[in-house]
Amino acid sequence: MKIFRMASATCALAILILAGAGTVARADAAPSASAAELKDAASKAPTTSTLAAGDPGGTITGTVSDVPVSDSKAGLSLGDVANQVGQNKIGINFTWTLLCGFLVMFMQAGFAMVESGLCRVKNANHTYMMNFFVYGCGLFAYWILGFAIQMGGAAGNGNLGGLQPLVGEHTLSLFGKTWGIFGQSGMFLSGHSYDVGVMVIFLFQMVFMDTALTIVTGACAERWKFLTFSVSSVLMGAITYPLFANWAWGGGWLAQLGTNLGLGKGYADFAGSGVVHSVGGVTALAVALIIGPRIGKFNRNGSANAIIGHDISAVLIGCFILAFGWFGFNPGSTLGASAAGCLRIGSVAVNTMLAGCTGTFGALLYMWSMKGKPDASMSANGLLAGLVAITAPSGFVNPIASGIIGLIAGVLVCLSVAFVENTLKVDDPVGAISVHGACGLWGVISVGLFADGTSNYGGAWNGVSGSVTGLFYGDASQLVAQLVGVSTLIGFVFGFSYALNWVLDIFLGHRVSAESEVAGLDLPEMGQLGYPEFVFTPEPATMSVAAHAAVA
Amino acid sequence: MAATKSQGKSFTLFIVGVTAAAAGIAYFSSGMGKLALIGGLIVLALAFGIFLKIKPDEGAIADKGQPAAMRMAGVVAAIFGWVIVVFGLNLSTSVSGRMTTTLIGIAVSLVGSLVLLPIAANKNAIWKA
Repeated sequence: MKIFRMASATCALAILILAGAGTVARADAAPSASAAELKDAASKAPTTSTLAAGDPGGTITGTVSDVPVSDSKAGLSLGDVANQVGQNKIGINFTWTLLCGFLVMFMQAGFAMVESGLCRVKNANHTYMMNFFVYGCGLFAYWILGFAIQMGGAAGNGNLGGLQPLVGEHTLSLFGKTWGIFGQSGMFLSGHSYDVGVMVIFLFQMVFMDTALTIVTGACAERWKFLTFSVSSVLMGAITYPLFANWAWGGGWLAQLGTNLGLGKGYADFAGSGVVHSVGGVTALAVALIIGPRIGKFNRNGSANAIIGHDISAVLIGCFILAFGWFGFNPGSTLGASAAGCLRIGSVAVNTMLAGCTGTFGALLYMWSMKGKPDASMSANGLLAGLVAITAPSGFVNPIASGIIGLIAGVLVCLSVAFVENTLKVDDPVGAISVHGACGLWGVISVGLFADGTSNYGGAWNGVSGSVTGLFYGDASQLVAQLVGVSTLIGFVFGFSYALNWVLDIFLGHRVSAESEVAGLDLPEMGQLGYPEFVFTPEPATMSVAAHAAVA
Repeated sequence: MAATKSQGKSFTLFIVGVTAAAAGIAYFSSGMGKLALIGGLIVLALAFGIFLKIKPDEGAIADKGQPAAMRMAGVVAAIFGWVIVVFGLNLSTSVSGRMTTTLIGIAVSLVGSLVLLPIAANKNAIWKA
């Protein structure tokens, strides 16, 4: 019996050893097999003569022979294939992000058409020129300083290759935690920031920043001195916008609310309802408060006169250009189309178009029901309101929530326009404060309500593992983080913008002379009429008061 | 008066000053960086001096001025509301506590931005004349 047991144990041991040896043998054989497969694939690759015959079906273009080989003697290796896969991922993400950035850049044309169309013909050139030159002012300011403040500490984005040169976040220790305040690397895109990934993120973030700047020109149209507008835009592109954008997107303290205080996943703003639109909207309110209403906008009893824009076709076409550009704005904010949850771009795009649709419905039905006409300019603003509101939550919510968010925004913009005009007595010719400010804030809040916890951008957001989840899906702390963002926008950003532009008012003066304003800004400010062959029709008496009467 | 050559020249100076100052900050560790920063700030000061000098050339504007004290109160209230929120986050560790202080801060900011500043703006509004 004892001999039998020993024999059994010996057999078992032998089997185990044999099995182990087999495993080792298979492991050793694995690279050989793969190498053989690679060699086999290379041998089957189409020859130059085959390719010379043309490939109408696209079946033989792009094969193993297109993978670069690091060592021509050794031939194609697994390392070569892996490197190519990695570069393909980054290449896809670069291409996606750049193309989306180009779309966002084109939104400047949409803004120019909307704003100019909503202004009177005598100010068309001036309004177009503000929208034109804000691009240059913003880009320049962002290049020399703004980008460094915003993204100078934003290293770590795997979608774009790491962005490792951007490692200069200035921090502050408060309440036992370390908080990011502003970035420090990347000025002039020089030194280490002369990097392919940094260039991509610069272009994409720059066009976002310029969108925020152009919002202000709408609210202050028809009376803003071109010089002061230019200086104000440079300072906003260099300081105001980048500061808040750093706090939200550049690794700053708002993004750290999750890691430092356990507030959800930190302030979550997928594509910028807060960072872009609310910053633009609250700055527009600040400057509009300083600059005052247009001559003839309000009567002595405080009632408002409607000052009708000169070209509704430009407004509506401009809106469609903006809606088109928004497909760069929101889906592009994944910063990639490959890996880390980027395949959600389809959802983001659909959410975007749905919210624009319901926003239009909200505004059009409200105006039709309450005022009797499906007002064109308010319908246009409804579309934009829906798009603005969905910008922050587009990456975190489902299509039903998108529809609700857009619908609320469409109604909200109508109520807000009436409130700004009739209660605050602030003159906003294009409704920018309501569209971008009010609806932007609503978008920020809606993340804290509707985020459904299904998104997964690499397993974490703002350094907190898991998905962004709002109050309706069980995380009330996310709503607090969003409200902290709202407070920063209406408290810090608004206050800072007001103070900055107040100083500019002291030194430069924001407003053109009454004489220029009454004549229209095209000739006095730009030296050329927007439409020299147009025949001007007399304005209503309230809007054509003499210059001396306006200042008396 | 509208746009003038003086405005164009002063804006050019402003851009030069901003660029030099930014270059100075970017290369502050070097001697040239410090020099560029100082030079940039001087040019900026010069630009703002010219802005102030040519401002009256614009002519009479349709604006009667706003009471500075009320404007200051509005700005301070807006920013103070935000300060309440930031410090309130550390007064309580509960979600409801933080929600409460955040909403209080937002309310204070709104008083500044939507009550005090519009009152200041409309105090001497052109349409009241």
